[in-house]
Amino acid sequence: MIEDLRWWNVPAIVVPAALCAPAYAMQYLTVEQAQQLLFPQAERFVAAPVQLDREQVARVEGYSGVRLRVQSQPAWRVQLGEATVGWFFVDEVYGKHEFITYAVGIDTAGRVTGVEILDYRETHGGEVRNAAWRAQFIGAGVGDELALGGAIGNISGATLSCKHITEGVRRLLAIHAEAVAARSVE
Amino acid sequence: MTLLRRARPLLGTLVEVAVDAGPDGAAAMHAISEAFALIEHLHARMGFHCPHSDVSRINRARPGAIVPVGADTWEVLSAATSFSAASQGLFDVTIAPLMERAGFLPSEADAPPAAVGWQGLELLDGQRLRLQRAVRVDLGGIAKGYAVDRAVALLQAVGMRAGHVNAGGDLRVFGHRPDAVQVRHPQAPTRTLSLPLDLPAAATSAGYFQQRAWAGTTVLPIVDPRRSAPCAASRSVTVFARDCMTADALTKIVYVAPQQSGPILARFGARALVMEQGDGEALCGTHEDRHRV
Repeated sequence: MIEDLRWWNVPAIVVPAALCAPAYAMQYLTVEQAQQLLFPQAERFVAAPVQLDREQVARVEGYSGVRLRVQSQPAWRVQLGEATVGWFFVDEVYGKHEFITYAVGIDTAGRVTGVEILDYRETHGGEVRNAAWRAQFIGAGVGDELALGGAIGNISGATLSCKHITEGVRRLLAIHAEAVAARSVE
Repeated sequence: MTLLRRARPLLGTLVEVAVDAGPDGAAAMHAISEAFALIEHLHARMGFHCPHSDVSRINRARPGAIVPVGADTWEVLSAATSFSAASQGLFDVTIAPLMERAGFLPSEADAPPAAVGWQGLELLDGQRLRLQRAVRVDLGGIAKGYAVDRAVALLQAVGMRAGHVNAGGDLRVFGHRPDAVQVRHPQAPTRTLSLPLDLPAAATSAGYFQQRAWAGTTVLPIVDPRRSAPCAASRSVTVFARDCMTADALTKIVYVAPQQSGPILARFGARALVMEQGDGEALCGTHEDRHRV
């Protein structure tokens, strides 16, 4: 045997709590940067938040199979000259430990042109559902006190499911079909 | 050094690509976009769920059939074969039927029975495979690491001096070496343990976010081919290696059989760290030096 796995047979080291860094946060892109990346050809992004009525909420939930927490959705109409070339949405999803803000581009045919993560936050637990806890991150930037120290805040083992984002994109496609695509036909 | 970082949901996880912004931020942004496009391409080639992927074509093929595959799939399957041979089958890409049975992969009602066993795939010249028997392949245990390596190679080829790619815990750095990498605490996944990063790639396999109940226990999507069953989600394994595909594949071997993995790790120039869930405390050590942490 080349290697003797001694550690396996002796009492292994107990991880001291002090070695454990707290939660993790990262701002990847601003809304403007994500707009440029998802629609590089665009000339203007016109804020046009989508407001759904109760019936529309029910239909969106029906199409997407995802529950809506709010009836309004931040959205921008993407303009190239007089033409609308797509829609840009900003959305957030949260799980037990993570809180993710992301942007989705949808073209005029109702297809996703891209998804970019804007912010990623992690916490120990319940705080994420608390509005005050979430509010503290508004305007937080790279290198703030929430980021891990060191040259690079890599987390190995961050195999967080992107299930929530997949559901979120499905919900946005349904909102687009219900409120945006329908509106532009009028 | 200012790192430009972006993340996208890809490969069933969040993939982060970061490069040293350098003097030309636009070029750096473009390089990151190209890296994401390459990862998407590799996913379409090797994804279990993608109906036109090489993997789906292999899984639909009849016994005896010869299946041509893309150069990248070929490279992954060749590497998989060497990991299987080195571990006497502890690493095996033909475990898809077991993953289906445990609920980690969807199973199609009309799917023909398939045998588990890496020798069922025979690699032929000209990027072709011969199926010795019906097999169903899942490259989930190795392709993520390969995609990370390829993305890093692309970033370097287009002139990026430094950066990293992290696909949900499959990590590779280039051009600079951060001192430490954070690995999640097995019992409190939002807490992390800082480990020295003395090789350019690392991969972690642990249950935290992927575990599920199965046959009265909590399991994760790593199958022990000797028992034809998924492993209990009790430990966290991190492997450090020279490239990410090696790190990715070796985590599976160490997870399944930590006591037997020492020689295999040594052969591939890799190191491992295991954290085991004890009675209310987390235990950890490396295969070569238990004082390392």
